[in-house]
Amino acid sequence: MTGTETTTGPRDTPGGEAPLLSVRDLSVVYEPVGATPTRAVKDVSFDVGRGEFLGLVGESGSGKSTLGFAITALARPPARIEGGRILFGDVDIASMDHEQLRTQRQGGFAMVLQAGMNTLNPVRTIRQHFGDIFAAHRHVAPARREARAAELVRRVSLGPEVLDRYPFELSGGMRQRVTIALALSLEPQLMVFDEPTTALDVLVQHAVMDTIRALQAEEGFTAILISHDLGVVLESAHRVLVMREGRIVEDAPSADILHRPQHEYTRMLLSHFADPRAEHVSLPGIEAPEPAADGPDGPDAPAADGPDGPDAPAADGPDAPAADAAAADAPAADGPGRRRPGAGLELRVEGVTKSFAPPRRRAAGVLAVDDVSFTLAPGGATALVGQSGSGKSTLAKMITGVEKPTAGTIHLGSTSIGPLRGRALRELRRTVQMVFQDPYSALNPLSTVEYTLTRALANLTDLRGPALRRRMLELLETVGLTPVEQYAAKLPHQLSGGQRQRVVIARALAADPQVIIADEPVSMLDVSLRAGVLALLRDLRERTGMSLLYITHDLLSARLITDDILVLHEGRVVEQGPTAQVMRHPRDEYTIRLLEAIPDPARVHGA
Amino acid sequence: MSAPETAPRPLPPALAGLRGGLRTIWTHRKARIGLIVLGLFVVLAVLAPWIAPYDPKDNSFGRSLAGSAQHWLGTTAAGEDVLSQLIHGARISLLVGFGAGGISTIISVVIGLCWGYVRGLPGEVINFVVNLFLVIPGLPLMIVVATYLSDGGISVIIAVIAITGWAWGARVLRSQTASLRGRDFVEAARFSGERAPRIIFREILPNMTSLIAGGFFGAATAAILAEAGLEYLGLGDSTIVSWGTMLYWAQNSNALLTGQWALLFAPGLCIALLATSLTLINFGIDGISNPRLREGSTGR
Repeated sequence: MTGTETTTGPRDTPGGEAPLLSVRDLSVVYEPVGATPTRAVKDVSFDVGRGEFLGLVGESGSGKSTLGFAITALARPPARIEGGRILFGDVDIASMDHEQLRTQRQGGFAMVLQAGMNTLNPVRTIRQHFGDIFAAHRHVAPARREARAAELVRRVSLGPEVLDRYPFELSGGMRQRVTIALALSLEPQLMVFDEPTTALDVLVQHAVMDTIRALQAEEGFTAILISHDLGVVLESAHRVLVMREGRIVEDAPSADILHRPQHEYTRMLLSHFADPRAEHVSLPGIEAPEPAADGPDGPDAPAADGPDGPDAPAADGPDAPAADAAAADAPAADGPGRRRPGAGLELRVEGVTKSFAPPRRRAAGVLAVDDVSFTLAPGGATALVGQSGSGKSTLAKMITGVEKPTAGTIHLGSTSIGPLRGRALRELRRTVQMVFQDPYSALNPLSTVEYTLTRALANLTDLRGPALRRRMLELLETVGLTPVEQYAAKLPHQLSGGQRQRVVIARALAADPQVIIADEPVSMLDVSLRAGVLALLRDLRERTGMSLLYITHDLLSARLITDDILVLHEGRVVEQGPTAQVMRHPRDEYTIRLLEAIPDPARVHGA
Repeated sequence: MSAPETAPRPLPPALAGLRGGLRTIWTHRKARIGLIVLGLFVVLAVLAPWIAPYDPKDNSFGRSLAGSAQHWLGTTAAGEDVLSQLIHGARISLLVGFGAGGISTIISVVIGLCWGYVRGLPGEVINFVVNLFLVIPGLPLMIVVATYLSDGGISVIIAVIAITGWAWGARVLRSQTASLRGRDFVEAARFSGERAPRIIFREILPNMTSLIAGGFFGAATAAILAEAGLEYLGLGDSTIVSWGTMLYWAQNSNALLTGQWALLFAPGLCIALLATSLTLINFGIDGISNPRLREGSTGR
């Protein structure tokens, strides 16, 4: 924790005046009944100057949200401020009572929550939401309220017609904008954004972040942006605090964090951040396949190579060995190992369409997938990219036989998947398997790892008794969970997210499938664990010759482990081709927008 | 490859969960009181022949005696010892409570889980049947069935209560099953080649143990109250000794008019206490299924 204490002194703030918010030796402890207390925030000190845009970055469990809740006086039991002071101006927030807190919300501090779009009252219009706030604080004259509400929604790039809408008539991004406008209506001096875009789609995320940045520049309020995404924070904030295990490990201007990170943890976070458009892309332990010689190098920024420090420390913990193994195994000169001889069956999707019945009579039906065709070669890896609602998960369900296509055919080798039912569908599980998105819900919380794997083996293979158990342990070793006996006896809650996802992958491998469909397998994982799981998937593909259909909205991971890519937009394939080529020279306008939505700190802070 | 350390194998997760659950209930203050009261009644019921001073059906004593050293709570109009009847009555109440509660819980688990898991026509059929049981008023149905099958003894009472009492539990379990069904681990079990019955009863069921336990104690409470009600109305076998029949005979002999309050008061209090103890235990079970309900865990 070097450097922590040295960075806590008073800072120069813009204008040289006293800081707006000053946190001193703050500790927050969680004291649940009947469990051991946990200190989530440990002796944290920092200042925020008036008009500053501060970023707060950390992985899950780092205490960043707890800190955010504490400084807006929203900490609720079992969380308790154990010690330290939070000075807002010259008032100690921790000592305020409810009524003082309520009145100071106007012109004081406001918070925009992660799931903020779900905080609107579903039975009241947006206008009534504004009306409630104006009535509670009386800071706007009744005659001016209508005009003020219209102006506020305009500030967040919405038209005045949304005022007449109910929350359910608005999209998630629009609702998040409305909550930002509502927070703004109190003319706060300090706004805390807690993962304001995490629950939103990629493109919407990008647009909402743009709005937040523009607003902050115009209105000049002080902003604290809490996020797990270093890219987003570096792109927006003037100064960044890096948090780990309840402590601030680095506190420096964004450009310094980007170019001269001091703490090893910051460097580790940065090393997991890369631009998929770059010529060479690598994360610790995994390197993207080299693009085929595809003509002239495009006009891409060479600067983007900056953040991938190749010598950064790899992810620690049990994820490291597999990452190393993958790195060692990857035949660098040998190409990405596609078209391995002797591999199995080809997956052919031809003209597949899926429409869902309309939810109500006279409403339009939903066309989820519209005339999609592609081929997944044996041993190949194809990425299916698109934002939510693009039909990528529906496509996966049809390939696994869970849903039936409305039109078109899906063949695996010579078997048509569409008409399979009952026994035949169970047979299909031997060849087509799935890795689920959320490792926290994909494992039965009451079953040991051994049970989970044993059941899959007993159902899908002919192994019994000791041979079955041997194979079970072998699977654990394959996915890098050693010592295997120990992991076999564990329950899901005793494992980290990355380890759980490894168990999920092991289960999918039980029957030696020929096709694996991975539905956003790393989106729920912390950055530092992602590379390990991605490396594992790639390594497995190369060793077993299985083919991989990788569903994601994350272009970086697609670049790292796939050869070909399909970009889906509203159920249609808008672009398809070799992954590296599509990313470096996208042709479709939608692909270009997707690529531009990726945060690029280098754009802001220079090379 | 041999196991590096042969530590004693940990408890199977189901057992470990049960032990953890019991500990949580025990740490809950109200639930602990409930467990203690229930425990006392169980001891009373099991040891009744040894604890009770007289045989409950021995009517050789003076009639309608007031409380005395020989008969702490007095005697009935037929000349039986009230205290002995009270102690023996615990057996019937507990038997009916746990018997009928258990049977109706089993019915509601089987029907509720299958109902929540299946889609389409079978689900509609179950829906119709359950709704049928829900719209029929419980007490009149109980009275009709009990009258029809009168003098079948205690097993008929248990059957009647179980048949009329499972439908609500099934509804609750159905909605929880339907929500768990959408979780990835159920889909994953299907991908592991599991068949429906195993998914329902091995993957889904253990995840709602606390809900089922809560349903069981609720059903047992209802069964105890229903049994007392039926017996009080004279619809059961009035020759057995239970708290309900005690109330029935006390009412018949106008116990209040003769000043024998203990005849009505004592069995009534016991019924209330037993029902309360089960309800208190349910508070503790709520604490397991929903940690937010644990006492003191929130400051609001």
